[in-house]
Amino acid sequence: MPVRTPHFPDLLFGSAARLRRWEAALMGLLAAHGYRELHPSLVLRESIPEGALRFFDGDELVALRWDFTVALAGLLARGFAAPPDRVAYAGAVFRRPIQPWEAVERFEVGCERIQPEGEPSDEADVELACLLMAIPGAIGLKNAILHLGHAALVRRPLEAEGLFGGLADEVVAALSRRAPHRVREVLKGHPSAARLTAHAEALLSELDGPGTLNALGASPYAHLLEGEREHMDRALKALLPILPANLELRVDLADVAGLGFYTGPTLRLWAPGAQQELAAGGRYDRLFPDLGRPWQAAGFCVRLSRLLDLAETRPDLFEPLP
Amino acid sequence: MTAATLLIAFPKGRLGDELVPKLAGTPLALDAAALKSRVLRIPTATPGVAALLLKGADLPRYVAAGVASLGIVGSDTLDELDMDLLELADLGFGACRLSLCAQEGVTLDSLRAKPHLRLATKFPKATEAWLTREGLTAELVPLSSSAELAPLLGLADAIVDLVQTGGTLKAHGLVETAVLGRSSARLVAARGAYLSEPARLRPLAQALITALCGA
Repeated sequence: MPVRTPHFPDLLFGSAARLRRWEAALMGLLAAHGYRELHPSLVLRESIPEGALRFFDGDELVALRWDFTVALAGLLARGFAAPPDRVAYAGAVFRRPIQPWEAVERFEVGCERIQPEGEPSDEADVELACLLMAIPGAIGLKNAILHLGHAALVRRPLEAEGLFGGLADEVVAALSRRAPHRVREVLKGHPSAARLTAHAEALLSELDGPGTLNALGASPYAHLLEGEREHMDRALKALLPILPANLELRVDLADVAGLGFYTGPTLRLWAPGAQQELAAGGRYDRLFPDLGRPWQAAGFCVRLSRLLDLAETRPDLFEPLP
Repeated sequence: MTAATLLIAFPKGRLGDELVPKLAGTPLALDAAALKSRVLRIPTATPGVAALLLKGADLPRYVAAGVASLGIVGSDTLDELDMDLLELADLGFGACRLSLCAQEGVTLDSLRAKPHLRLATKFPKATEAWLTREGLTAELVPLSSSAELAPLLGLADAIVDLVQTGGTLKAHGLVETAVLGRSSARLVAARGAYLSEPARLRPLAQALITALCGA
């Protein structure tokens, strides 16, 4: 097994001040839109995943909070008969990194919009997108790009072809690499190979420009995905007129990150030249039903640690601190 | 070269030997004088675009970290390292097989029958995946080069290695007993750079595909 020294960064004066300022600005923005803070415990005693930072408290295996959404879902499902409709959070999560340069301790601010199952969700999705569009301005990021995706664009064709488990995971991994040739390799000999490869090519054919959503028309699953296409079209029509001048809105049909979790529209915030997304979220309607609650939810998380790193390496992307 | 120079990571070694002549005469041809020197950062025929010459195993890390915006690397290396990269095209050249190879006369069945099979390889991940598919267990002997010597000197019963023409195998009295997979050169991109600045990188990626595939 490779041995890697975990990376626990200390924040010196400038970064520490920036973190406090950003946390306050973002929590203020969320509070102004009716989002109330919940603060789940830093120590988890149940549902401890592999990637969490684990240790023994006496004989009991516990872990440091590794994900706010999961921690909040547990808290809400246990303690609330009906959920608060708007929730915000801020703090650190601890997670073993996938890439060696990622830190174990990560600072985040985020929010969640929770509704009873079956309520129309379009308005909540647009509300979250609008909030995410306000994030760059709140933290002094000069320019940003918002990617709008939809998890069902990949999930539904896979389900329609009866593809689940390992093979479906390999198709998703190929799409995550934006590699239609890998989709062809993975599905070689499978009856759906030609259809799913053509679908992958359609999803990947456009990354920006007005034709992006129309690219779905070339997919063999265009009819199956008509509802998702209309949903994204409505979202675009709602968001484009109110787009801030410093923000670009793009449709990313092949966004498959977190596909096992997200069930509907997805949002990702980038800065020009940044190596990692700075905020991410979307709709995850299966989370609460899996915990026995008939609720649907969507939300996003701003990755403050990545923003702090970006401010160190690319200060030109940010307004100077007052 | 300025800070705004776009860097493309090119592989040294077998793939690089095939790549450099293919780029000659294209907008991404490497500067011949710089190639003859020992420098590893080479200007191209396009101003503002330079090439880094890197060992295949290191190349994906440079691209994943965003140091180089694009790169060309074998799919065997990509599969072993599993870095977070975009893989924009199969460039077709550098095609070879990842094969199980043993001394002449040793069959796959005789290897299967060994109670303690030892396989020497620099591709442990692909080898483990094949062993799982085949329902076999083996001791993996990690090597970084000259794997062909391992069966001859008793370090392992067989090797898992890349085979292009078979000439090196033949020279060592080895034969292919099973093909585990196939590899070819792939065009890779840094996820962040490509998704956040597609208008800057897409034309360059397309220029590379045109230069190398003619499409």
